[in-house]
Amino acid sequence: MELLLMTLTTGIMVGGIYALVALGWVLIYKCSGVLNLAMGELTLIGAYVSLSFYSMGIPFLLSLLFSLIIGLILGILTERIFLDKLIGEPVLTVIMVTVGLSFFFKGTVEFIWGVDTKVFQPPVFPLEPIKIGPLVIGKVYLWSFVAALILLVVFVSFFKYTRWGLAMQATADDEMAALSLGVSARFVYAAAWAIAFMAAGVGGTLLGNINGLNISVGYLGLLVLPAVVLGGLNSIPGAIVGGIVIGVLENFSGAYLDKYFPGGVKEIAPFVFMAVFLLFKPYGLWGWERIERV
Amino acid sequence: MSTTWLPCGEYHQSYKEDHAWFQTTFIKGKMILLGLILFIFIPRFADSYWLSVCNQIGYTVLGALGVQLLIGFCGQITLGHAAFVAVGAYTSTLLILEFPWPRFILDIGLAYPISILIAAVVAGLWSVIFGLPSARVKGFYLILTTMAAQFITVDFIITQYISQIGGRGQAFSLPPGTIKIGPWIIDSDLKVYYMMLVLTILCITALANLLRSRAGRAWVAIRDNDISAEVMGINIIKYKLLAFFVAGFIGGIAGAFWISNLAAISPEHFQWFWSLWLVGVILIGGVGSIHGAIFGSVFMVVVLELLQLAVIPLADEYPKLLMDFLFIKEATFGLAICAFMIFEPNGLAYRWWQVKNYFNLWPFSY
Repeated sequence: MELLLMTLTTGIMVGGIYALVALGWVLIYKCSGVLNLAMGELTLIGAYVSLSFYSMGIPFLLSLLFSLIIGLILGILTERIFLDKLIGEPVLTVIMVTVGLSFFFKGTVEFIWGVDTKVFQPPVFPLEPIKIGPLVIGKVYLWSFVAALILLVVFVSFFKYTRWGLAMQATADDEMAALSLGVSARFVYAAAWAIAFMAAGVGGTLLGNINGLNISVGYLGLLVLPAVVLGGLNSIPGAIVGGIVIGVLENFSGAYLDKYFPGGVKEIAPFVFMAVFLLFKPYGLWGWERIERV
Repeated sequence: MSTTWLPCGEYHQSYKEDHAWFQTTFIKGKMILLGLILFIFIPRFADSYWLSVCNQIGYTVLGALGVQLLIGFCGQITLGHAAFVAVGAYTSTLLILEFPWPRFILDIGLAYPISILIAAVVAGLWSVIFGLPSARVKGFYLILTTMAAQFITVDFIITQYISQIGGRGQAFSLPPGTIKIGPWIIDSDLKVYYMMLVLTILCITALANLLRSRAGRAWVAIRDNDISAEVMGINIIKYKLLAFFVAGFIGGIAGAFWISNLAAISPEHFQWFWSLWLVGVILIGGVGSIHGAIFGSVFMVVVLELLQLAVIPLADEYPKLLMDFLFIKEATFGLAICAFMIFEPNGLAYRWWQVKNYFNLWPFSY
């Protein structure tokens, strides 16, 4: 029973981080129709940038802020240099450009920061865990979850209440109508990439705090895919629910299935789940169904 | 429509003529010249280093052919082809190491050729299993299932279970002398080169022949519009699965061939990186032509080797450049894909076609 509760809470908390990154993914897809396979590398860049600032002695929150700013700039640059020219190209072309980007980013990150695991030194969050009844939760998890939640709320209210956010929603809903009403599509695309970069950077930083930072944090970017498939590709609440479900699922399979299939079952479970889920409900829980006509 | 330019006034009169292999003497001469270069000129004048580069090109071509078939001809986007290459490599290795071959088969050196065939079939069937979702989903969703194939096969089954067979730990090493075809023990770059050449030519011929048959036309129809194809009476599930089988088959041959060039095989050789690499190769070469797979492989391998040669003189001043060359390679590859997609989306094969047209139509190119 304790194991069950522990796994559940850890899963939900890690899932919060996944949800944050998944939100960035869905945002890009909704606004510009780009299926982004470079999400993992976006998390890596953000995480390494904030780690670099932090190890220079800058306080954590400030270095997180700096990495957000750099993410903003990089996001706009990426969109302008690479994706802007591909509007209206076939799906495979756009996907492969994001794959190319992911190679490029990954190679650059590895070249600059190396492949050894780096940790946030001194630890950002206190090491001793919190005890609630029988539950023992690491403070890292708790704070990460809280931070992810805060950012989720910030992003969602950005879409709901600000002018820019509304412009993005309008473009996602009907690009032609939004254009004729004077919304700048190029601005919206750039904003979507910037926000995705920022969300991914925060997600990466939080994950780096939990296990130390190395290239495998970029694996998170792949975990986003099961999450968004579960929620439906173009649904923001779906991304949040999907992220949390995938986090829980991953931890449960790590805790319970590892006995039967020793080894990396924890890493594989989300993908197996995704493959099976796709067979039954390819449009996810809240995604739009596409009706095909000849 | 024929893709060959005939002299003025000559026309094809039957479908068969239209799709014949050697339509003019010029083409025949060109292919003989190519054969001479490949079989005599290169082995004679290339040193061991460039032969190994050629082998790498051959391996990439074999891998990319399957991807070209799936993406370029059948429209089924796959990002998990390395899994099938891995299945081929591991099947062949396990057969050689663990299977109790009768003495006489070992003596006449048939064990490895037989294992290549079995490996190809196993990889093909494995590929069909993961092609099954293509009956129901397509586009981005199919990409996700093929990715799942990659992770399930390589990162889970092979790493955790297959690698444990025989208690060797992570890597299988093949003792010298086990890779033997007939009387020849494949132990030098030159022998690997000849084997690569034969296998590649066989696979390309087989694939080209398939593409001008009913199956090939069905694949192209499915790629262009699967609903119309179904309306026209093509059993799309059957032909999609056939495409997956053939792609896996060629991938299996690629894997089984590559073990002759590796001292030890481990899951490291078949990571997701390699799947993406193969897709990148055909995108650079050109989607939808066999030329594309070849051009892309040659371009990528040779460009990266040249890059490495260019980096070596700089290594004295910046040793980090050579030490971390792998990462530079990754970044360059990524940029190359992006640049090709943005500036030359039709790939090198299209350029080649244009050059050919220019000379065929010269001096009146209108």
